[in-house]
Amino acid sequence: MEIKTFTVADLRTALLSADFWHTKTLPITKHRAISFIHNPRADEDDPVLLVAYEESQVIGYLGILPDKLFVNDTVYKFGWLTSWWVDPSSATTGVGAILLFRALNAYQQELGVSGGSKDARKVLDASQKFMALKTLKGLDIKFRLNVTGAILRKRPALNIFRIVFKIFDDVMDEIVNLRNFFWKRRNDICQGLTFEYISSIDEETGQFIQQHHHYDLTRKEKADFNWIMMYPWILSAPLKDSSGKKYYFSSRSNRFFYLGVKVFAQDNQLIGFFMLKVRDDRMSLVYSYFESQHALSITAAVVYHALAMDVSALSLYDQQLVASFPELRCPYWSAKEISREFSLSKALADVPLTNYRLHGGDGDLAFY
Amino acid sequence: MAPRENITRTLFNVIDELNQLRSTEEQLEKNLAAPLTGDSGRLDSAGLINLIVLTEQKTAEELGMPILLTDDRTMSQVKEVFGTLGTLAEYIQRLLNEKRDG
Repeated sequence: MEIKTFTVADLRTALLSADFWHTKTLPITKHRAISFIHNPRADEDDPVLLVAYEESQVIGYLGILPDKLFVNDTVYKFGWLTSWWVDPSSATTGVGAILLFRALNAYQQELGVSGGSKDARKVLDASQKFMALKTLKGLDIKFRLNVTGAILRKRPALNIFRIVFKIFDDVMDEIVNLRNFFWKRRNDICQGLTFEYISSIDEETGQFIQQHHHYDLTRKEKADFNWIMMYPWILSAPLKDSSGKKYYFSSRSNRFFYLGVKVFAQDNQLIGFFMLKVRDDRMSLVYSYFESQHALSITAAVVYHALAMDVSALSLYDQQLVASFPELRCPYWSAKEISREFSLSKALADVPLTNYRLHGGDGDLAFY
Repeated sequence: MAPRENITRTLFNVIDELNQLRSTEEQLEKNLAAPLTGDSGRLDSAGLINLIVLTEQKTAEELGMPILLTDDRTMSQVKEVFGTLGTLAEYIQRLLNEKRDG
């Protein structure tokens, strides 16, 4: 078994190498590699991808997303673990463990984890190298039933009844539309608000974010948001492409995009900015910035966008918006509590972490 | 220097502790020749990490000398080092000898 470490510079070279893309399993997709290369927080010599090869074939890989922690006036460079995969037929070769320890060694043991599968968590716990940082508690709000999608995902054999499910969904959607119509008429929270949409961060938004990110653990800036929006890991495409078939993680969705929303009050004052991620029929709020007194207006603005974009569900992790949601009294089918765990390696235990904020898009979560 | 029997005893203690974390079907043998990793091995990544962590802890506690099994040097020869308990014992012996010789 051979472990190859790809730095940003190596990945740049690999992008042009035919050999790199000719393995049966791909350790990364081209657009994800391009995103890794453009990460504004990564240096050229930062390791960003570890690949395990056996007889020239990929049997495992682990990505690392270089990032920075901001605590008071001190900046700590570290990396988030991402896209960690081991070929099931190589499970007893220890490749998962090797990749993890190699990554820890490459980053002076300073790594973070956002979310992660049960298997990955099991391995991380076993290593005793990580400590819980924070569990973000959020809400998964279901606006539309989408019975067709839910049933067919679980039981594809029922596809022959698709038309029945679809009719049921259409009827339910009409009921939802009617409820939304009356709610919007009754609700005046959004009445005086206006919106401006951006696909990259302008000066005004950049300054607004800077004024509101002081307590953010990773203090994202203009360059970071532009990077996320310009270099997504998932592309909107109707069919699986050749690399998607050879890559374990998602590389496409029928619908995937980010939307930056500036929210203005009646007096034309910018009162909030949030970044939405829409993937198929789901919307997630990945980053949001606003003053506390505008929390209800911003929640209303987010919900308005979810309704306008016909998504089935909206995920919120911002504590103030989650707390404000019930006050809106908007129509929905269900609101389920959800959570996302963040961990840091114990090597960062001495970092004085108090009174900090994490966003629903931190780590690698903005990208999925 | 820790005699080889002490290293073996320590590794058997590691296996005893490790087996407490594993189901009846997944129990590991206290046998120096039984494969740990590889095609006929019984350790997946989490199992291997448990073995590494417990071995580091027990070596420090019982042999009085801390060793590091997660460095790049060890990680570049996982197949050879963690193939069996016997190969692991040999490797630990080598690390301890190196420590002694400075």
